[in-house]
Amino acid sequence: MNYRNQPNAHNMRSVNFVCDAPQANSVTLVGDFNNWNAHSHPMKKQPDGAWLLRPELKHGHHRYAFLVDGVLTLDPRAMGVTRNDKDQHVALIAVS
Amino acid sequence: MSASRKVPAPQPLRTSNAAVGKIHPVVIYPFHQTKSYEDLHQLYELVSTLAETSSIYARPITVMDRKTYNANAKSKPFLKFRANVIEPSSDILDAWCVDTCQMWYSGLGMAYERGGPNDVYWLIPGDFNYGSTVGHEVLSHLHDLPEICVELQQDVCIGEIAADHNNPKQLIDTYGTFALLYHWFPSEGREIREYTERPRSEFFAMRHSFLGEMLNRRWFAYEQTVVTLLHAVFDKKHISRFMVGHISDLPEGRESISSAMQQVDRTERVLKAIWRERHQSQPDWNKRYRMLEAKSDEVRRTAMTILENLLT
Repeated sequence: MNYRNQPNAHNMRSVNFVCDAPQANSVTLVGDFNNWNAHSHPMKKQPDGAWLLRPELKHGHHRYAFLVDGVLTLDPRAMGVTRNDKDQHVALIAVS
Repeated sequence: MSASRKVPAPQPLRTSNAAVGKIHPVVIYPFHQTKSYEDLHQLYELVSTLAETSSIYARPITVMDRKTYNANAKSKPFLKFRANVIEPSSDILDAWCVDTCQMWYSGLGMAYERGGPNDVYWLIPGDFNYGSTVGHEVLSHLHDLPEICVELQQDVCIGEIAADHNNPKQLIDTYGTFALLYHWFPSEGREIREYTERPRSEFFAMRHSFLGEMLNRRWFAYEQTVVTLLHAVFDKKHISRFMVGHISDLPEGRESISSAMQQVDRTERVLKAIWRERHQSQPDWNKRYRMLEAKSDEVRRTAMTILENLLT
């Protein structure tokens, strides 16, 4: 078996996602890691108006975006840019 | 080697695809040999690590222009570096090349012939200041480019170097490259800018099938990244951009007006050639071409006026 395909439960990292949207009523993190589920990763509003979530992600590269009041929003501070399966521009993050 | 910093060891790739190929690193050796080998030592420390990780990486290739070799054939440090550092960690391809992009063509072509359908090819330019603190940061991020191609099934991943808006290369891209792209290929130019501000980046990785398509098209001796991105957009390929850090070319210094002029001229020449290739089967294409060409002249002159003001 190719070892690259073996899931490694210990290879998880805590990652900070911050979305600066002080006027928003809700912000959710969506990405490959949650099958772009709009409900599974709600972010928490901070006193300064930014929204924060610190999920654990597997080692590797992940596509993600923020849903700001239901609108798919690209992270302006993202490490990279690509498209998701719906051909929408989304962000890239490396977890190592 | 002085102040050597440890290069991170490659980690297993994350992919859901059972058919995982190899990553082929292709190093483009600097055309002009610098006196200090510190930057190259840092680079080849990474290359050596890749060579030792044969489960993930194919044997690296170093492309060296024969003119570079001939100019340094009597230099003991050069011959020692080649024999003791480059050769143990990579196969050297000595080639006569008219320009850097032909070195890419030779190296990527050789790697492609060794590769297979699931493989990914990783271009690593040698003429960067890898020995600096920021250069080391770049070295630690470069591996992300081929990994993104593998893990996320991307056809091409461009590495972007962050630079402030007054950086000479950024100015040339803003006022020259993009101005001409918007003129000759407006929608494709906009699409490319959705991904990157540096469409002439020398850091990239490509999937086997897309590289095969590109190798079999006309390959330009310069500005080939722009050409690759255009074809990626034309053919609706999967494109990614990833930040690899902050870095400057060696030798350090400002771009001369002459160099900027040459870069803008080359971009225009390449874009004209591609436009003709894509439209010459259409009726009255030459009439449209002449109109575009006349306006392109204005765009290029305006770009040069701006760059003269900013770079002098």
